Amino acid sequence: MNTSTTERDALYDRLIVERARAPLYAGRFEEADARGDGRNPLCGDKTHLDIVLNGHHIQDIKHQTRGCAICTAAADLMAEHIRGGSVAQALELSGRFRAMLVEPPPSVVVDDQSASLGTLEVFAPLRSHKARIRCAELPWIALKEAFSHVDG
Amino acid sequence: MSTQTPTVHAVPQLDVHAIRQQFPILGEKVHDRPLVFLDSAASAQKPNAVIDCMANTMRHQYANIHRGLHWMSERTTEAYEGVRDLVADFLNAPSREEIVFTRNSTEAINLVAHSFGALLKPGQAVLISQMEHHANLVPWQMLRDWAGIDLRVAPITDDGDLDIEAYKALLADGKVALVAITHMSNVLGTITPAKQIADMAHAAGAQVLFDGSQSVVHHKTDVQALGADFYTFTGHKLYGPTGIGVLWGRRDLLEQMPPFLGGGDMISTVTFEHSTWANIPHKFEAGTPAIVETIGLGAAIEWVNKIGFDGIAAHEADLTTHALQRLATVPGLNIVGHPRVRGGVVSFTMADVHPHDIATLLDRNGIAIRAGHHCAEPLMRRLGLSATARASFGIYTQKEEIDVLADTLVRIRDFFV
Ligand SMILES: Cc1ncc(COP(=O)(O)O)c(C=O)c1O
Repeated sequence: MNTSTTERDALYDRLIVERARAPLYAGRFEEADARGDGRNPLCGDKTHLDIVLNGHHIQDIKHQTRGCAICTAAADLMAEHIRGGSVAQALELSGRFRAMLVEPPPSVVVDDQSASLGTLEVFAPLRSHKARIRCAELPWIALKEAFSHVDG
Repeated sequence: MSTQTPTVHAVPQLDVHAIRQQFPILGEKVHDRPLVFLDSAASAQKPNAVIDCMANTMRHQYANIHRGLHWMSERTTEAYEGVRDLVADFLNAPSREEIVFTRNSTEAINLVAHSFGALLKPGQAVLISQMEHHANLVPWQMLRDWAGIDLRVAPITDDGDLDIEAYKALLADGKVALVAITHMSNVLGTITPAKQIADMAHAAGAQVLFDGSQSVVHHKTDVQALGADFYTFTGHKLYGPTGIGVLWGRRDLLEQMPPFLGGGDMISTVTFEHSTWANIPHKFEAGTPAIVETIGLGAAIEWVNKIGFDGIAAHEADLTTHALQRLATVPGLNIVGHPRVRGGVVSFTMADVHPHDIATLLDRNGIAIRAGHHCAEPLMRRLGLSATARASFGIYTQKEEIDVLADTLVRIRDFFV
């Protein structure tokens, strides 16, 4: 957009727009070890996850999302981040992602490796858009649901 | 200058600039941009006349009503009851006793569902349409479930008009006791052919309720000319306060109906064993009502009357025509609903851009619209959509604001595509 680029574009990072337009992890697996659904009754957005597990290792994941740019990009970037890791790591990341959205930013920047959320930080500006936080959280809610059926 | 009277009835032009001066909120900035408020269908802004009237009531003339024997109570009762006259006149109701104050339209419809519903027998039916707000759908589902009646839904056409043939067919078996249909859709803008709907309902032995929440704002309402049996509206969309709505009902129907809520003010005599009900409308107004809000609604109605519906309707028709033309030039934009007769509400979707992203990005530019299912989920499903964006217009809306909307939508699409 060509006016007042500062704040607006901070909210819709280029990466969000790109992943919403052309998600890299969209689709379904016919055979999946865990499946989860997220639904936002307020706006009708929904996302479905198919996860292929190898023990407690997330071998592959795809999402099918019908939603806004923020929801679709959040699902895609979530898939990218948790793929190849363990279920426990994914849940731990989920906690830190949520904290980034709902907790006030730390006043002192502790540049600690483990605290970095990488590209998921494109969603940080949502902190000041309470009405849209749910959009970014939806895939993570679906993830939790998927794992609730996995005995761990 | 000639003093000859014009032969054509001239429609008074609204002085929109002067009107805007009376709405202090329109001078506010949002995200450092002048507020462009295109969400009046959700709730309209309030003119000084309403704000000052309510503040002055609380400052100078306030007490509980109908109960006190003192000066303040009597004056406040007069002001409150005076609004009943204003509302009766506003709707052209045959009598002031037929005006019942409620919290909003939702409560007015619930009142009818409960109290008129109590007169219905299993096997009878209520008929609504596919374009109802949840407020005119859920109360009837609740009635269906506790009274064992049928709930029928008249379909709409792809353009967003009531399907009159289908409506007629649903009335044919004579089992419909009440038709409850919107007078104007909050999503499609459709103004329904109320007179025709009422005539057909009556011919089939049914009463008819119109949900006037959207429509009373845009043109003069005459419940007698429409042939309505019940009519509801809500104060906050009519430039008045929240917390006050209106049910108008035909006297004989209101008299037959049992009360809705029980408590103070709605009784005639009370013993521990038994109570008898007050006359209408008080039978339906239990407890201390929204006194200040009701008086505020009176101020809103007087203010709207002073401007006049001829001017308001012409202004809003002009804005709507302009909006439909301008929005049609936005690449990828699709207008939802092409009804034959419409009011100042335009829903749209955009290829590749979700309505919520549209709303958020418009907001960054100071433009307030609504996005979502607009409390009409079954309608969204009928349209094959999960959400739309909606711009709606009021007395204070300017064409320039619609231009800003259209220009910004072009840039939003560029941003996403
Ligand atoms: C057509 C229609 N009916 C009913 C309502 C309910 O109004 P309220 O929420 O004031 O009861 C609305 C507004 O939200 C509406 O647009």
